[in-house]
Amino acid sequence: MSEVIVVTSGKGGVGKTTTTANMGIGLAGLGKKVAMVDTDIGLRNLDVVLGLENRIVYNLVDVIESRCRLKQALIRDKRQKDLYLLPSAQTRDKSAVTPEQMCKLCEELKTQFDYVILDCPAGIEQGFQNAVAGADRAVVVTTPEVSSIRDADRIIGLLEARDLRNISLIINRIRPDMVKRGEMMSVEDVEEILAVPLLGVIPDDEYVVVATNQGEPVSGSRSPAGTAYENISRRVTGEEVPLMEITGKKHFFRRIFKK
Amino acid sequence: MGLFQGRKHFSGTVARKRLSILLTAERLDCAPRNMQMMKNDLTMALGRYLSVEEDRISIRIDYSPAVMTIRIPLHNSEDKHVKII
Repeated sequence: MSEVIVVTSGKGGVGKTTTTANMGIGLAGLGKKVAMVDTDIGLRNLDVVLGLENRIVYNLVDVIESRCRLKQALIRDKRQKDLYLLPSAQTRDKSAVTPEQMCKLCEELKTQFDYVILDCPAGIEQGFQNAVAGADRAVVVTTPEVSSIRDADRIIGLLEARDLRNISLIINRIRPDMVKRGEMMSVEDVEEILAVPLLGVIPDDEYVVVATNQGEPVSGSRSPAGTAYENISRRVTGEEVPLMEITGKKHFFRRIFKK
Repeated sequence: MGLFQGRKHFSGTVARKRLSILLTAERLDCAPRNMQMMKNDLTMALGRYLSVEEDRISIRIDYSPAVMTIRIPLHNSEDKHVKII
């Protein structure tokens, strides 16, 4: 019953890596065995967000080219016992991996983990093709801005074209104060435009920068973004969690949890 | 508030409208200009038989299943007791 989830967006910089990391942390916190895979060959990022940059010995390409066993390349998280990272390579040769090889790798990972989360690179070329090859479901990350929504729409079209239809949406970096003033599209606006089910909404939160600076998790902290990520992880497991009421002022936000 | 005086539209609304039009065209793999021409053709064709409110025609495209929905408001004519469904 394992699931391979690809976190994609099209547009760069909207929060795929942060989402991959914190979804992994959240799921591990719920007792699941999780592997996070950085599939961005050449531009490694997931490791540094998780604070695991000094632990890398082998990487994804080493595993695929059989220079090491999968077990040797997987890095266990500092804090969570059932959370592992398979880092990317820093090689510039993006053709080092094929979709077929990724499928095979995902199959192997599924035998060991409840959830395999693939951090997809930006764009729609080889990296994207590789990352979606072995996926059972896709989480599309967007921000409430025209360029990211447009790219997200294109990505959704490409996913559906290759029959990956279990698609859900995360809207990242919502600024409720701007939405109230009419200067930012609302959650409802974005949902209506993209027309895929909503997995979660993450407010713009300074704490994300603070946590990433230190290689610390956002999920599990008491920040608004942290709570949003926790809720997202719970929804991934099938739990129904109502959307957080996001207000402009931090001290007025109410958390609604399913009893 | 001085910056915003006299502004009729909020940028969020503008963004939403732009995206609706753009994405509809891109999903159809059809340039926005062609979309406009399609709308004109439809209006002319329908206009031969019915009175349509050209400015309020809207087009929407869904992916799965692939369905294009065109909403065409008709001019209401009271004296003919026309029922618009």
